[in-house]
Amino acid sequence: MRKTFLLVAAAIAVSAAIVVTAGAAPSATPGVTAKTILLEGTFPLSGPASGYAPIPAGMGAYFSYVNAQGGVNGRKITWHFEDDGYNPANTVQLTHKFVEQDHAFALVGGLGTEPQTAVRQYLNDNKVPQLFVSTGATTFDRDFATYPWTLGWQPDYEAEGSIYGKYVVKNLASAKLGVLYQNDDYGNDYLRGLKAGLGAAHQSMIISAQAYDLSATTPPSVQVAKLKASGADTFVIFATPTPTIQAYVIATKLGWKPAHVITNSVSATDPFLTIAEKSGSDIVEGSISINYLLDPSNPVYNKQPGMKLYRQIMAKYDPKGNANDPLNLYGVAKAWTTVQVLKAAGKNLTRAGLMKAARSMAYTKGKKNANPFSLPGVSVFTKGNFQYPISQVTVIQYANHVFQPLGSLINGRGALR
Amino acid sequence: MSRFRIPVGFAVLACAVAVAPFLVSNYHTYQLAFVGLYLVALVGLDILTGFTGQISLGHGAFMGIGAYTTTILVVDHGWRDLWTIPLAGVVAGVIGLAFGLPATRFAGPYLALATFAIPLSFIGIVKRFPSFTGGNVGKNLPQLHSEFGWHVNPSIWFYVVCWVVALVMFPVAYLIVRGRFGRALRAVRDSEIAATANGVSTAAVKTAAFGISAFYCGIAGSLYAIGITYVNPDTFPIDLSILLLVGIVLGGAGSLYGMVFGALFVEFIRISWGPGILDLVSKAHHLDTHAPGSGLVVYGVVLLLVLYIAPAGAAGLVRQLLAIVSRLRSKKDTSLSDPSLV
Amino acid sequence: MQQFFQQLVSGLADGAIFGSLALALVLIYKATEVINFAQGEMAMFTTYISWSLITHHGFSFWEAFFATLLIAFVGGVLLQRTLIRPLERASVLTTVMATIALLVIFNGLAAWIWSPQLQFFPSPFPTTSWVIGGVHISKQDLGTFGVTIGCVFVLWLFFRFTKLGLAMRAGALNPAAARLLGVRTSWLLALGWGFAAALGAVSGMMVAPTVFLTPNMMQAVLIYAFAAAVLGGLESPIGAVVGGLALGVMLNMLGTYVHPVTSELRLPVALGVLLVVLLIKPAGLFGRVVVRRV
Repeated sequence: MRKTFLLVAAAIAVSAAIVVTAGAAPSATPGVTAKTILLEGTFPLSGPASGYAPIPAGMGAYFSYVNAQGGVNGRKITWHFEDDGYNPANTVQLTHKFVEQDHAFALVGGLGTEPQTAVRQYLNDNKVPQLFVSTGATTFDRDFATYPWTLGWQPDYEAEGSIYGKYVVKNLASAKLGVLYQNDDYGNDYLRGLKAGLGAAHQSMIISAQAYDLSATTPPSVQVAKLKASGADTFVIFATPTPTIQAYVIATKLGWKPAHVITNSVSATDPFLTIAEKSGSDIVEGSISINYLLDPSNPVYNKQPGMKLYRQIMAKYDPKGNANDPLNLYGVAKAWTTVQVLKAAGKNLTRAGLMKAARSMAYTKGKKNANPFSLPGVSVFTKGNFQYPISQVTVIQYANHVFQPLGSLINGRGALR
Repeated sequence: MSRFRIPVGFAVLACAVAVAPFLVSNYHTYQLAFVGLYLVALVGLDILTGFTGQISLGHGAFMGIGAYTTTILVVDHGWRDLWTIPLAGVVAGVIGLAFGLPATRFAGPYLALATFAIPLSFIGIVKRFPSFTGGNVGKNLPQLHSEFGWHVNPSIWFYVVCWVVALVMFPVAYLIVRGRFGRALRAVRDSEIAATANGVSTAAVKTAAFGISAFYCGIAGSLYAIGITYVNPDTFPIDLSILLLVGIVLGGAGSLYGMVFGALFVEFIRISWGPGILDLVSKAHHLDTHAPGSGLVVYGVVLLLVLYIAPAGAAGLVRQLLAIVSRLRSKKDTSLSDPSLV
Repeated sequence: MQQFFQQLVSGLADGAIFGSLALALVLIYKATEVINFAQGEMAMFTTYISWSLITHHGFSFWEAFFATLLIAFVGGVLLQRTLIRPLERASVLTTVMATIALLVIFNGLAAWIWSPQLQFFPSPFPTTSWVIGGVHISKQDLGTFGVTIGCVFVLWLFFRFTKLGLAMRAGALNPAAARLLGVRTSWLLALGWGFAAALGAVSGMMVAPTVFLTPNMMQAVLIYAFAAAVLGGLESPIGAVVGGLALGVMLNMLGTYVHPVTSELRLPVALGVLLVVLLIKPAGLFGRVVVRRV
């Protein structure tokens, strides 16, 4: 009996040891004191999606920069993020911690369609802002009426897909499209957008669409072979970075030389396509994609004031980070938007006030308050029933190891609606 | 005296469970609720791995089957979540039996591969039939809310549900491993050939153990879905199956009370202790605690250290300590106890 | 028909990759009767070392290749002597757990040291293809295939004709008897780990040009390699490679010709077929059925 008792007593001792601080008592607005604002978010810092780890680091660098300038309305931003490993079960537990234990003012930038879907209802029930989630899934922008505390940031995948559709109709009228897409929300959003962009009259231009599965994790050689056999002459890749690069290399290995290649923006960064090129793919040159941010790996943008500021911030506040990685700039640009919204919410900061500010953003070239880290002319705009913060993009083409902008800005959402 | 050992131990555990929510914050109560459901899963897996000696790298999938049973019944058929819990166990248990039947022909690494195939296949099947399962997008369950007219914080409600289930399932497991059937399990673990010679049908025993463990994991999975309020294939990765096995080994395979330690480890290592240790280390050495991968390193090192300190798990460690204590006081107490039941 | 042969070639190329890591698994299993779940991550980690030598220290591919083999061998021996040996008396389950802990640590360390970003890893073989009857055969895939076959041949020679190889086989089959005959079994286990680590490094350096270098690049390969090794019977290097090739071809053929088997179901169906094979031949294609005594 003594033995068991000791055993159980030890168990209790361990459980008691878990009790750390119970957290500060919530003030009028949780997470806001006279001098600080607490922002938190979940990101994959381990596992297959950990390639996105520079995003929160970039955000942190910009927040540090703003704090050094005196903060927002006299308050310093405390930025805290944790690793969910892209497992929604972890996201849920960490989000409970942020809300109930840390009393975060708002959750910012949380990454991943599925993880953020898992916590959306919880955050809306608790009236905690779920701001600028790091995913292009359309639902986070479209369903603002159902989820008033949730908002996306980047151009949504559907709108991006539609831009490719319109581009094809206009520039490649006789193309036969072969589409490789991921068999989930991500790939399906893109494919749906592509069809919408082509319009009913041109949907037959897609002569083959092949899905691949991320968890099967062998390179998508079967799918690419089928696309080649279909007789397609334009290769459309709606995939995450690794399968995209593999698709490029496999096409070359199979001797397939499509006349045109279209790659979605998530994978279309200079570093990724350079790897495909070095690995022997001869169809990389001329690839089409879109972009809305300055590209730190392209020297063309080095003279932009935003790029100069970005490099200064990275050098000072995240010296270990790779400043040429576009994901860092993505984080910085997102943090910039966050700071603007916090400023707009005013001195008397409340969660409702923050959402009100986020629902009516107008950071545009015309008002001379546009995001310095985005391509010139791209605005961050929300108003009333239009809740797609960034919807302007420019078509880019890969030439001589970097993506070059082709022509002017396109509004992916404007024409769709 | 030793006759009362188990009931008294159980009473102490029950008291600790009853007191804990008054001592800790709501968030920690929420975490301790997960300890309860992991305890159910680990006790079930321990019957298979610890008591019958059959390794499984796939029991996270049975949690997934339980979770999807609950989710589909609640979301698509309007069931009340609590009533789906036993059914989730039954569905997982039946699938476990069906799998156990051929799996009994495998041993060692062959069995490891066979069980490894379960979570891999589970993920594929969930993705293949999205109209039924929700596919990659997953399904949202209703948020946690207290029921039966009891107004209490949702975390506390969830805690009560999980631990009521755990405190029912725990003694049931004890009854399973104690009796004639329990002896058959251990006979199969210790020597299959000797067991067969003594008239034990090893195939039947192993299949039954598979079914029982899957039933337990199904129950745990149902609670998991209710607590997370969301399911998709990423929620039940292969890591979950391995984490359960880690819990068994660290708790002490073949000990039921040891699973309490295993469950604590499974819940807290990644979410709380890992980041806590990193914070301590970073204060001393100015390391970047948010460096990608650093959390995994801490988790792995802690796991390795625990294996060295307690190769037979927490239960083994406690047994060793108690052996030292009782040797010091050996003149008074010489009652023998069956260590496998501690 | 052309498509059939093209898929056959793709399948053999994938299979050679599975087979090369399966060889390393078999080597440790033969020496220690333990499945080393960290094998894939050790291979990944050593590939990063090689990558670092090439990109940051000016090594040529083949210099880095052989330097890495040496580092991997020494690392494998040290790992066994320092981390695995203390668990010699613990249960198999505990040892397996230790290899899982190593898996986690290596994966985390690689991301911590070299960042989780995708890296380019050069291939020693040209990126062009030969075309035979409309079927494209990549020289790189052929190179990987050749290296894998070469490794099997070397291993076979080693186990068959060297004293050390014979001693290792004896040590694994019957440690007590081998010890009585004066074989220092403990060191043999360490050597087993060393050889397996080196073999894993070869596998990693052959895989990296196709799947690209990230901390997670070997996790899927490990699953397939494990399946391949079991299919081959776990004791036989030739079995491991044949198992890998069979698995690679089966995955590609399922994807091409069996339409209800969509990309999500390819792996489950392949594993299902494999388990049915194992039900018929419980010791794998090339394994010996061991008669157990009480």
